[in-house]
Amino acid sequence: MSARHYIVPGFIAAFSGVVIWASLQLDTSPPMIVGAGMQPRVFPIFLMVVNLILVAIMVVQIHRAPPEKAHRESFHTWGSMLLMVLFYGLTTWLDMFIGIAVVMFLMCLLWGERRIHVAAASAVITPLAIFMLFDKVLQVRFPRGIITNWYYG
Amino acid sequence: MNEALSAMASVVLDPYLILLIFGTTILGVIIGVLPGLGATTGAALLLPFTLTMSPVHAITVLSTIYVSATFAGSITAILINTPGTSAAAATTFDGFPLAQRGEAGRALGVAVVASTVGGIFSVIVLCIAAPLLARVAYEFRPPEYFALTLFGLSMLASISAGGAVRNLIGGVFGVWLATIGAEKSTGIERFMFGNYELYEGLGFVPVFIGLFAMSELLVQSRTVNRIVEAVSMKAVKLPTMADYKRIWKTILRSCGIGTFIGILPAEGATVASMIGYSEARRWSKNKEEFGKGSIEGIAGAEAANNAATGGAMVPTMVLGIPGSGTTAIILVGLMVHGLRPGPYLFTEQVDKVYQIFGAMLLANIMFMLMGLYAARLFARISLVRTEILWPIVFALSVVGAYALNASLLDVWLVLIFGVIGFFARRHGFSVAPIAVGLILGEMVERNLQNTLKMFDGQWWLIFTQPLAVFFLVLAFLGLCGPFIFQTLFGKRRDVGEPEGAGR
Repeated sequence: MSARHYIVPGFIAAFSGVVIWASLQLDTSPPMIVGAGMQPRVFPIFLMVVNLILVAIMVVQIHRAPPEKAHRESFHTWGSMLLMVLFYGLTTWLDMFIGIAVVMFLMCLLWGERRIHVAAASAVITPLAIFMLFDKVLQVRFPRGIITNWYYG
Repeated sequence: MNEALSAMASVVLDPYLILLIFGTTILGVIIGVLPGLGATTGAALLLPFTLTMSPVHAITVLSTIYVSATFAGSITAILINTPGTSAAAATTFDGFPLAQRGEAGRALGVAVVASTVGGIFSVIVLCIAAPLLARVAYEFRPPEYFALTLFGLSMLASISAGGAVRNLIGGVFGVWLATIGAEKSTGIERFMFGNYELYEGLGFVPVFIGLFAMSELLVQSRTVNRIVEAVSMKAVKLPTMADYKRIWKTILRSCGIGTFIGILPAEGATVASMIGYSEARRWSKNKEEFGKGSIEGIAGAEAANNAATGGAMVPTMVLGIPGSGTTAIILVGLMVHGLRPGPYLFTEQVDKVYQIFGAMLLANIMFMLMGLYAARLFARISLVRTEILWPIVFALSVVGAYALNASLLDVWLVLIFGVIGFFARRHGFSVAPIAVGLILGEMVERNLQNTLKMFDGQWWLIFTQPLAVFFLVLAFLGLCGPFIFQTLFGKRRDVGEPEGAGR
């Protein structure tokens, strides 16, 4: 039995505590509007109290039967998450489709694709096809960026 | 009745709809055979593509994906020992051993027949049960709806993936997510932190795409360089008369089990197939064959998981309570397309409802044809390289989420909930309870508010309402059932997995 077994219940309990605190900061509604109903803060607090009870049961369960040690995440998983952050940056500052293309290309390579031309082709053709489909068929206007500014004029 | 039958029959007179079902069935089977991309993820990814379609066509696409992907999971379960969907996990126990013995075609034939019978049976039950349940549901007032949604949430305790407590924590988290935004009756802002795009609450679609598709992408990143063991197959063989004699009882039993499990709120095809398999084994005269290539095992699991598809549509359409993860997305599809789920759907839009049922029936026949004639081809698709497939899923996820409201916030929600879903799954929490909680959250709170107002704050008067008490008792059983069974019968076995099963 080690402290790491209690990280998850501890995190959920802390989260519940934060939500209860945040709920207590919510505005209250005049009694005339609320009537016999609940104030808006009551329901989230009730939910988090239920959560804390469930966490207590979870702790007892872990104490009785500790879970097996979870394996460490692979480089591919952390790398994929980092690519999502990169996508956020590229979409915010350049263009959503540049973000998609770059992330697709890097993800292909990260996940083990050795043929750069295949990764590059996938990274160009897929966003282009999706863009055309959504723009022409579904008539969706995408957020402004380098490419969309040029395309929309 | 005549109106319903003519609406169902009109499906075969609409060439566009038939073509749509045909194309979507192919897509659904492809989605089903690709490990990781199940019916839920597929439906979540396709929902934005249905935006320009009519409501009937859009829901047809989603429900066809549901039934065909649920069936298709069995193809890879049998041929490469990897269930294409979680609902096909029980099929691997006997499907792959039978395929290893050189009888892959026979195994697939049994799976196709059992799935088709299960699917058609459940749609027939759906056609009969849904209007009857709708008639009862007309009488529901806020106390009954509140108790019913509590029952739906309580059933999360018995979803097979994850433990009961973890599932309930997930469900409560989902309900809390539903409180984000302006509270409906007072307009007080909750947990928006100054972001007015959240005023209407979290969008279901980006949260679902994140929880199902993006988290699956991160899960799949662990399986990079996975080596797949495949068996060869010449052709799919329909079961012989001797086979039919052995499996007909199992199929019928699993049809009943699957439909019933499907109707229960929050339960789905995965639970149904596990129970269908366990029961097939329990009632079989050839128990020793289970795990070594029993056709009864395949039939039991496959009939049950496809029977659950129609069953799960019953609470979804009649009560607005999703019967499974995929029907949660279909429910969102109904709302997006202006079809208000609930009993009034059966009086206000009866023709559309029965057209959807008719389309589901046709989809079951279509996937049978595809299973019989193109299973080999589809099995090859499952060998597509993950390093090509998942970056495409990434692109579809972010663009699909954006397309619904043209909001970049939805794209960020996909990424955030992808990471949340991944870590939840890593620590043994299933993401389906979060999705169900999110859908039911608003219903629970609204009906609780209305109940309190109706009884002038005297909440205990809910116990004077017989139907509400009935659902509250069911909710209590749903919550405590797993604990009671665990106490009475020792450690609960989620799956009747036989020793030496081929996994």
